[in-house]
Amino acid sequence: MKERFLDVFVHNPMLVEISRFRRRYFSFSTGNPGNSVILTLVLLGYAGFVLIVEENREAMNPISIVMFETAVLTVFAPMMLYGSIAHERERRSWDLLLAAPITKFQIVGGKFMGAMAALSIAVGLFQIPILIAAFGYKDTNWWNLFEATFVSFSFLMTVCALTILFSARVKRGLMALGAVLGILTVALVVFPALTYGAGIDRLSGDPFLYLHPFTVLSHLTMTDEQNKVVSAWGWPQTFVYIFLSLVLLAWAENTLNFAENEVKFLPQGDKNA
Amino acid sequence: MLEVKGLRKEYGGLTAVKGISFNLNPGDIFGFIGSNGAGKTTTIRMIATLLEPTSGTAVLNGADVRKDPMAVRRMIGYMPDFFGLYDDVKVWEYLDFFAAIYQVPVKERPGIIDSVLELTNLTVKRQAFVQSLSRGMQQRLCLARCLVHDPALLLLDEPASGLDPRARAELKELIAELGRMGKIVIVSSHILPELADFCNTVGIIERGELLAFGPVSQIVKDIQPHRVFAAHVLKDPEVAMQTLIQLPSVVDAKLVDGELRIEFVGDIEAQADIVALLVDKGFRLAAFREDSADLEDVFLKLTTGAVN
Repeated sequence: MKERFLDVFVHNPMLVEISRFRRRYFSFSTGNPGNSVILTLVLLGYAGFVLIVEENREAMNPISIVMFETAVLTVFAPMMLYGSIAHERERRSWDLLLAAPITKFQIVGGKFMGAMAALSIAVGLFQIPILIAAFGYKDTNWWNLFEATFVSFSFLMTVCALTILFSARVKRGLMALGAVLGILTVALVVFPALTYGAGIDRLSGDPFLYLHPFTVLSHLTMTDEQNKVVSAWGWPQTFVYIFLSLVLLAWAENTLNFAENEVKFLPQGDKNA
Repeated sequence: MLEVKGLRKEYGGLTAVKGISFNLNPGDIFGFIGSNGAGKTTTIRMIATLLEPTSGTAVLNGADVRKDPMAVRRMIGYMPDFFGLYDDVKVWEYLDFFAAIYQVPVKERPGIIDSVLELTNLTVKRQAFVQSLSRGMQQRLCLARCLVHDPALLLLDEPASGLDPRARAELKELIAELGRMGKIVIVSSHILPELADFCNTVGIIERGELLAFGPVSQIVKDIQPHRVFAAHVLKDPEVAMQTLIQLPSVVDAKLVDGELRIEFVGDIEAQADIVALLVDKGFRLAAFREDSADLEDVFLKLTTGAVN
């Protein structure tokens, strides 16, 4: 177990993904002017957002910024990761990895950690407006804010794991992106809308809505008086998201057992990997 | 040493490789020749542990591709017929990444990277992004990647495809140097004269069967046991042919496209006797040259062009 941990987190050559993600999304020295332009626009938008929060800090619940952060990064994460494995296959660098003494666990783990490192930077940037609002807002519940941050981050872990799984299971990166965005749209928007339409009360304990990150975060914005069951919101979902992420990553790893570049949705055994 | 024993691969009803066997020793540069779909790449991918053989196996320095693929992977450098490069990394980072995968100690990596860059003539591109390299340079970088862990066996699948003549010549010299360094090199290519230049062993494969295997000279001798001379006689070549066939050193003589093709066994004196006889008998001899078979002739003679 310890050896496997070290293989993935310490001696994993795929950790190079961390610097690749950093260079791709947070560096002006990529050699690609398009990236630099996009990064400049994003930083300008970020600066504007921080100024808006500063102007309205007394009226802005910091958990609402966590919700905004979650929404933005839920879209950003699949866009960052959809090609993580599918693009290796498309550019055929995949064969070079399979012919090298590296385990599938290291490949999936390295991709995941690279993405999480990049997301951590983005989450870190969001902490500045969140803290500005937290200190300005009169009813800040610091414990709920702490929980909300973990809910958000663990949900993003799940989104990343889901994207890696699809990237490992389809032949083209864009197919993975479409599938993941489709699933997220159905799960986060369409299904809750239908549920409301059917007259189901969100607070009645519907298990699906119970795991909906925005439902969880909106519960955490409430005061203890408004929400008598606040202890049921936050940590339980965080643990479910983390567990779900691990399951999805294990599934993604198992997916790499495909035969002769065929991609099968169901694992085919480890004959040719 | 690489021992390939009865390697066979079936895809459903199709047998891509039909139980081929051969052995290679350190320093051997093995040219793997065959048409598209003959089974070259499948064989190479089985040796590279990317495909599991249906039956048979390959053993590299005691490690079996089926029983211990990880051990085999540590000893091979695999260069497929495509680059498979990461565009967004620098040349040294790309090599460092693969050095890490092959568990080259961190302290040794800079020195090794410098060495392989020098060997592949890419030192000046150390800090360049991979995407900025020319095709020939990318090809050399692929080869450099194969070398970072000092493999015992190099598997090069169509390494010269798409290269200009200069890059091709450089690659040839590089592969020859690797052979001199004691590595086993398997090179597949369509360009037969190129292989004949630097391979000391060749194998001809068609429809998954290894039709011939051995040193180029031996294979040529197998299909053409006698030396052949071509003589261009300006007048009465039929008469010249009848005259020559009387000689004990001439096994056979034919008229092909206006030229005499003389199959010959004998030494240099007997060879000189042919010329002397033609001149003495008054035939006007415009040209006389040796016309032995080459790898291309062997390939065309042994294969039918059929594919799986």
